Amino acid sequence: MDKKKLTNDIILIGSLLVLAIVSLVIILTTRNKSNLIATVRVQNQIVLKIDLNKDEGKDFVVDGINGQVRIHVKDGAIAVTESNCPHQDCVRTGYVNQTGKPIICAYNGVSITIEGNSSNDIEV
Amino acid sequence: MKLKSLLSTLLIIPLISCSQASSLESKVFCFDTAIDIRLFEGEKQNLNDIENIFSYYDKISDNYKQRDVNNVYLVNNTNDDVLVDETLYSMLQKSFALKEEIRYFNPLCGSLAKKWKESLKSSQILDEATIQSELSKLNNSSVLFKDNNLIQRLGGAEIDLGAVAKGFALDEVKKYLVSKSFSKYLINSGYSSILLGQKQSDDGLFSVGLSDIDNAYLKLSNCFVSTSGVSTQGVKIDDQIYSHIVNPYTGSAINNYDTVIVISSSGYLGDAISTSFMLSSIDEIKQVEQTQNVKAIAIKDKNIVYKNESLEVYYH
Repeated sequence: MDKKKLTNDIILIGSLLVLAIVSLVIILTTRNKSNLIATVRVQNQIVLKIDLNKDEGKDFVVDGINGQVRIHVKDGAIAVTESNCPHQDCVRTGYVNQTGKPIICAYNGVSITIEGNSSNDIEV
Repeated sequence: MKLKSLLSTLLIIPLISCSQASSLESKVFCFDTAIDIRLFEGEKQNLNDIENIFSYYDKISDNYKQRDVNNVYLVNNTNDDVLVDETLYSMLQKSFALKEEIRYFNPLCGSLAKKWKESLKSSQILDEATIQSELSKLNNSSVLFKDNNLIQRLGGAEIDLGAVAKGFALDEVKKYLVSKSFSKYLINSGYSSILLGQKQSDDGLFSVGLSDIDNAYLKLSNCFVSTSGVSTQGVKIDDQIYSHIVNPYTGSAINNYDTVIVISSSGYLGDAISTSFMLSSIDEIKQVEQTQNVKAIAIKDKNIVYKNESLEVYYH
């Protein structure tokens, strides 16, 4: 009887350990990959939220105050790939995957900010 | 039973570690950038008050269009007296006083900088004739500060407070936060001007990553962090990067560094100094650090080429 109880305990302990390890792996994996969310605003209004992991390879078009801005997600990073703005600063910014470093298209009033689990509180 | 409790705890720990301290957050679009306001104390009204401060400073310092107050644009479009409010009058006075103290900082660089931006838009270097014409305007222009908040711009050079306007706004925000006895906050004006209070952690220090250097960061609190750089507005022509930061003596748009970070106790001062340091030699940087009580880091080609000895850079 005691032997059977011991076997059951071992099975229970083993199952819980496996579950704990699997949980930890899932949490760490999602922290690294899928928690980066890009928020797209036109002036002060949120118009789009883009998951930089799940929306891999996708294009988005946003109506800015003076025209359209095309956004692309690649390799967990986001960029403005087309804009009708005169200076093209937003396009030249290139792909960004860091929190605290926005992409701005001032001409169209469009800002893209990334939020998520960065190891830093802010980047300069 | 004890073992089961231990295992349950093991499962819960990772979940707890994912939770984050709550904060009041707001993002506003001002100064052609996204302003990120994070308060770790206070209420929604405090966020609104701070948003209003940014919005107001954005209006009065705008040199591209007329707003519903007399602003820099209006001063730039006449040589007559312009009645401005006390805040803009004070901003202009302080900026022109700094021009006498900080080499390479000149609020009258507006039209020269605009000409460079226009030229770089089509990946062209501004021609020498235009540079000389703009420098002549710059050297023959001035601003008169008259009684009762009257300002008169003389000559053809335009005022540009773009380098310091966000810093002035942050100074006002800091005054507001102090008046409310708040100490825990992070106000990010588009990463070029940042006001740090204390973080909600044991040491109260924020990790400020240096994006030009892999895995490098500073630990800071209770200060202003001003950053100037060529990464977003620089244009590469024939292996040379030209930027919006223009030398008021030579008219050149070539900077000495890719990024300069200045830690200071004043927003507008830090902003002005970080801009001027982009054009300064390392000896000049050291000199201004001493006279103005600021600390700087200069980065070129992903290397730290100068760092104030009291600043420590950490690596993840």
